[in-house]
Amino acid sequence: MSNDTNLIYKDNLKERRKKNISKTILMIVLVFIALLQLFPLVWAFSYSIKTSGDLFGPELLSFPKNPQWVNYKTAFVDGKILKYLSNTLSIIIPSVIFGTILPFSLAYATTRMEWKLKPLVWTVVIAGLTVPIHTTLLPNFIWFNKIGLLDSHLGLIICYIAFSMSFNSIIFSGLLSGIPKSMEESAFLEGAPYRVILPSIIAPMAVTGFSTVAIQTFLNHWNEFIMANTYLSTESKRTLPFSLILFDGQYSSNYAVQFACMVLVALPPLILYFAFSSKIMTGVTAGAVKG
Amino acid sequence: MQSQFKDKKVIATLVLPGIIIMLIAIAAPIIISLGLSFVKWTGFGKMKPIGFDNYLRIAKDPIFWKSISNVFILIFVTVFFQNTIAFILAMYLSNIGKKLSNIFRTIYFIPATLSLVVVTKLWVNIFNPSYGLLNKILAQIGLESLQHAWLGNTSTALGSVIWIIIWQGFGWALLFYYSGIVTVPDELREAAKVDGANKFTLYTRIIIPYIMPVIQAIIIIDVTSSLKQMEMIYLSTAGGPGDTTQFLALYLYQRAFKYSEYGYGNAISVIFVILAFTLTILIRKTFAKRLESL
Repeated sequence: MSNDTNLIYKDNLKERRKKNISKTILMIVLVFIALLQLFPLVWAFSYSIKTSGDLFGPELLSFPKNPQWVNYKTAFVDGKILKYLSNTLSIIIPSVIFGTILPFSLAYATTRMEWKLKPLVWTVVIAGLTVPIHTTLLPNFIWFNKIGLLDSHLGLIICYIAFSMSFNSIIFSGLLSGIPKSMEESAFLEGAPYRVILPSIIAPMAVTGFSTVAIQTFLNHWNEFIMANTYLSTESKRTLPFSLILFDGQYSSNYAVQFACMVLVALPPLILYFAFSSKIMTGVTAGAVKG
Repeated sequence: MQSQFKDKKVIATLVLPGIIIMLIAIAAPIIISLGLSFVKWTGFGKMKPIGFDNYLRIAKDPIFWKSISNVFILIFVTVFFQNTIAFILAMYLSNIGKKLSNIFRTIYFIPATLSLVVVTKLWVNIFNPSYGLLNKILAQIGLESLQHAWLGNTSTALGSVIWIIIWQGFGWALLFYYSGIVTVPDELREAAKVDGANKFTLYTRIIIPYIMPVIQAIIIIDVTSSLKQMEMIYLSTAGGPGDTTQFLALYLYQRAFKYSEYGYGNAISVIFVILAFTLTILIRKTFAKRLESL
């Protein structure tokens, strides 16, 4: 080998080694952050199957020889999970159905039809995105009390739909504006009315939008706390997060059961996330960037 | 244009239900807040009209300003700190191959799917002085001197709360940047390479300008979600110790529902809405200029 090529070879080697080192460092950083995100969850799970006394030991993470699965049963019963879950579902299901259909209809009318007030209505929809929920808590509390919506599931459902209108309308409007108008035009020629065209021709074309929006809306409502906390005062009407709050008072020293309860409440969204992660991710980014 | 696209009855049926619900739950309360911001009222008995007194009181209320300054600290930390890390990670993740990046992205997003109540409870336990994970780790590595009642100490409470917020919010920022970066067309990257651009200029000249709309979206989300920060603090420190972790939305809530100051609470609501709109418009304007000049 001549001197020249030898030099080049050495240079390449050096560069490659440098690349390898930076790659290793990068991997270490990525794994470290992943641990930061995961370790607390694993830790919480390990506590959920211990006895409360075990919590005070010095070790960071350990799994007990006799896992106390009974904690989950206690959490389920004492946390009134079943009661709260049925409340949550009876609020979420109508909220998700209407929180998907109404934005779809609104987005259809604003992207594909011609009417005078369209710009005004769309401005209202966009502005709705900016209003913080917290600014509506007190005034809604006051006037829902007057019109009998306070402490009722219906009141909460109305709020949940209202606060998902803007974001969901924006996602649907993005989807609908991409569909050629000839779709409806040919259906009109055959004399089909809107109430047939919308569900049977247009909606199927936006089917990915429907699933993304529905899943996202479901997760939002599942995790929603402050409106439920403010508007629902009757214990028996409250929603799932309250099973955790319950343990603040009467069972506050039963730490292990609290951890079991945390796992129970966190599990459904996690499962949903792993089942639909690609849909959740694409939908959310698309909507937010457009909005 | 066919007449069907202008059918008023159809339009009304499609638009009105959604709009009416928004008017009931979003527009009406803003108007009610505005009206009640000029009275003194505990929720019972008579309202006493007091003109602009509530607003004058806000101007002189040190806790209100403390809560605003905390909001801006949080905005600063999320916009500059969280975003930089998220961007750099997204950049690397877009370079390490699809399979590996999928695994990492999935893990990084897990905290974002958990409910606020669960996340808060989790971290309250981690920060717990007697059995919490953090103090145990410090003990294991011989740093007992750093042990704290993290959420109960005035010097660490705000930092700890912000840490929880970032721990959960980080996945979103990363997701946005990543999806932005992978949409940059390969031709643009290739062209830059042909022109002799190195990694650094590739990012500053090509990729960052290309994903400007994404950056704008993230900053708007950072700002609005910092403004709306409340549940986490409500469930962890309740604004304490000594109002060191007071945030605007929580302060409003406490004035309204803990102290039953309905008039004052509504005045804070009005200021809050105005602030949210002003900041959003401001960011949009700033970016509109930047997007034009590119």
